Amino acid sequence: MGREVQEEESREVTELRFHRTVYAGTAVDEAVKRFGAFATFELREDPDHWVVRLQAPTAEREARIAGELGNYALGTTIKNRGAR
Amino acid sequence: MSRETVEGLPLELVSADLARGAVDLQLDEAAYPLEALYGAAYVFIDRCYVLIDRPGRADGTPGDRWRVTLAIKQATGPGADAAALRALAGEFANELLSCAWRHNITQENRAVLEQVTAQAIAGAMGPPSLDDLAKLDFTGEALEDPLGIAQSWEEKYKKKKAEK
Repeated sequence: MGREVQEEESREVTELRFHRTVYAGTAVDEAVKRFGAFATFELREDPDHWVVRLQAPTAEREARIAGELGNYALGTTIKNRGAR
Repeated sequence: MSRETVEGLPLELVSADLARGAVDLQLDEAAYPLEALYGAAYVFIDRCYVLIDRPGRADGTPGDRWRVTLAIKQATGPGADAAALRALAGEFANELLSCAWRHNITQENRAVLEQVTAQAIAGAMGPPSLDDLAKLDFTGEALEDPLGIAQSWEEKYKKKKAEK
């Protein structure tokens, strides 16, 4: 699943998993920087995915930031793919 | 997450999660190349949240399907969302098919497109200058000319010694 909500110490944390064949790592980094002021982010990698965990004050806000971040990363990947 | 059928679409290919206001599409990688997915996704990112994934198989090997998740930006309620998700999935599938077909045509005609573009660019550069012509290399072997077309008039019709 690309987007998962996990329980962590009774607080919901949204985890976004961006597949490496689809999303450029630089685009994910750029998206996190873009939305850095609106939530707390934690980045890590696994063999197939760029993993972004984010936490915002409310669940609604978190879901919205997660969606916008995903769109931004995808849009940036698409726009930059000609330059790769 | 509860998966629900989207009316008129098979559950193994399209499923909805009304609680999240999202619909998942399972797409065959062989039928829908990534470039087509990018094209269709780009059209939809202003209308909904789009996430593309490529889930692996249970044995850990890479999968051969894309999973596209489309989530409504402003959820209004389960009933309205069901209809909106169905419309979203259908429109995305149509756009994706169009993008895949255009991608296929582009791939098939790539050589012709490149040739025409190269000729157009070469034509736009104008005729070669005298310096360009002076730099041309004429030292290579001549083409085969069994009919003598490349021969000059003087070479072809010159008087033989016996005729003198």
